[in-house]
Amino acid sequence: MKPLKELGAKHTKKAWLVGIILFLAIIGTILVNLNLGVISIPPLEVVKTFLGLGDEYNSMVLFHFRLPRIVIALLIGAAMAISGAILQSITNNELADPGIIGINAGAGFAVVLYIYLFQNSMAEVSSISTFLLPLTALTGAMVAAILIYLISWKKGISPIRLILVGIGINSAFAALIIMFQLRMDPNDFTRATVWLSGNIAGADWTYVLALLPWVLILVPLAISLSNMLNTLQLGDDVAKSLGARVERNRLGLLFIAVALAGASVSVGGGIAFVGLVTPHLAKKIVGPVHELFLPITALMGALLLLLSDTIGRNILSPSEIPVGLIVSLVGGSYFVYLLMKS
Amino acid sequence: MKNNKLYILMTLLVFVLLLAACGNDDENNNEQTEQNEKTADQAEEKTERTLTDAMGNEVTIPAEPKSVIASYLEDYLVALGITPVAQWSVSNGIQDYLQGSLEGVPTIPYDLPLESVASFKPDLIIMDSAGMVEGNKYDQYNKIAPTYVIGSEQNNDWRDELLEIGKVFGEEEKAEQVLADYEEKAAAAKEEIQAAIGDESAAALWLVSNTFYIVSENLSSGDVMYGDLGLTAPNVVQEISANTEANWSEISLEKLAELDADHIFLVNSDKGTGAEMLQDDIWQNIPAVKNGNIYEYESTSSWLYTGPIASTQMIDNILNDLVK
Repeated sequence: MKPLKELGAKHTKKAWLVGIILFLAIIGTILVNLNLGVISIPPLEVVKTFLGLGDEYNSMVLFHFRLPRIVIALLIGAAMAISGAILQSITNNELADPGIIGINAGAGFAVVLYIYLFQNSMAEVSSISTFLLPLTALTGAMVAAILIYLISWKKGISPIRLILVGIGINSAFAALIIMFQLRMDPNDFTRATVWLSGNIAGADWTYVLALLPWVLILVPLAISLSNMLNTLQLGDDVAKSLGARVERNRLGLLFIAVALAGASVSVGGGIAFVGLVTPHLAKKIVGPVHELFLPITALMGALLLLLSDTIGRNILSPSEIPVGLIVSLVGGSYFVYLLMKS
Repeated sequence: MKNNKLYILMTLLVFVLLLAACGNDDENNNEQTEQNEKTADQAEEKTERTLTDAMGNEVTIPAEPKSVIASYLEDYLVALGITPVAQWSVSNGIQDYLQGSLEGVPTIPYDLPLESVASFKPDLIIMDSAGMVEGNKYDQYNKIAPTYVIGSEQNNDWRDELLEIGKVFGEEEKAEQVLADYEEKAAAAKEEIQAAIGDESAAALWLVSNTFYIVSENLSSGDVMYGDLGLTAPNVVQEISANTEANWSEISLEKLAELDADHIFLVNSDKGTGAEMLQDDIWQNIPAVKNGNIYEYESTSSWLYTGPIASTQMIDNILNDLVK
């Protein structure tokens, strides 16, 4: 038996290696994404444009269309991945994901309700609303989370109850969303459906700015709480005997997961499966220690979403497939594979 | 400790990307304002003008727009003699009835992906409704070219839209002429039809994916039939129209059996796939079908569309069928 210390070091090295590989993969995908599209911009042109020497037209395409979209994909990918990882850890259930337990649906419902009540049409969402939307979505996500928490409380939260209640809440909100959608104009209904299925087509820098603070603050915060997450994995009784305030920690972590998911939904609609699949993969590769696998999860989520968007944008060019659908395809297939293996 | 480095790296990357983009953002804005000033100086017979669109945006229209994208509004463009640089399309087709004038014009998907629009380098974009520019999309399209939104409502009157588009291109007179010609034609057709069939009723049905749809009284072909040509609307049509905002509403075979229309115009989109609904007994027993007063059109006809050209073609079709 090797001394524990050595085992730890080996895993850490592996984590670093994987992290760097993922980072390079992301850079590579960014470059491919910048190059491909209805208008193909050769790599040399891309470099020229970045140095400010490109023509006005390429500059517009790169800086106003592709780059914000890339950044959004990375941010949402990372946010959803971490959110899923946290949820899986605090519920001790590998099937937890913000989409499955209704957080996405709650956020989506809040946004649909907001638009229905205050805008009367998806069209008139002004730029102030772009910043208000994450808050609205967050409120919806919180309401969903609070409902789940309250309903599954029975002298503490059993992880299984949490998941089951979450699935129920998901259905409830999904039904509410449809109810309100049906009262909208037929045009808005279609648009709402596309939006809810996860779509970052019109992404621009204001959306990036709206989402950025949430991700930049909460993702590092989540990683810094790795110790707490590790402790929770030992089971409630052991954790309590180690002095951890189990319920309070769970609540705080839930808040972070919900905030990340809510903000992501407000910008990109309901993108599911990222939070389900990436923690699994990450844990498989670098082990279940949170300090190691959380950053890897974030990187994987970012890469997954960026890849999906690149595919969605180019495979049926000039038509675009919403990124949520591609991710569901990829993630869903992996999910089925997981189930089949076990 | 080690992980701090990793996510500091991540954060730095995002910041660097952001800074690079913001820096260039300013440069681009300056370039565009310079261009606009130049165009204003070149005032010709038709000058550059600034109009306010349906959403309240101030739009500076170029003096002579050469490459226009007006997705789903091509009918109006053709009526005014303007050829767009790209035309509306969905996955299974284009507006066939306009291809006489639009042949060779490349297609663009109906949801106007930003890069596709940009690839055509338009100098004017006209949007059918505010719904097409939800969220921040208006600003995005406006960066590519001045973007004018025509209608703010769900179903806009085609006559109003025609005049509005005329205004955008500075062709108000031509638009009014087109309208006047149409009204004249409709009035003449109305007389002929009255003489031929009196006040017999007519309805327009659409068969697609084995489901029947019936047109609303005041929209699309309904407007042409009942509004312009004075055909009588059967009770079922009136009933359905009262409860819906849509151009076409689903109608079950049972409800169809109640339809006492004397004449039926059928748009058959299922022609290629068998159209088994037409073999159904209930369908065969509808009076208009039994009496052979059913006129079939393919999905390539103009019956599913709205606009001066579509309406004109419909009048020609109806005259052909009812006035023997």
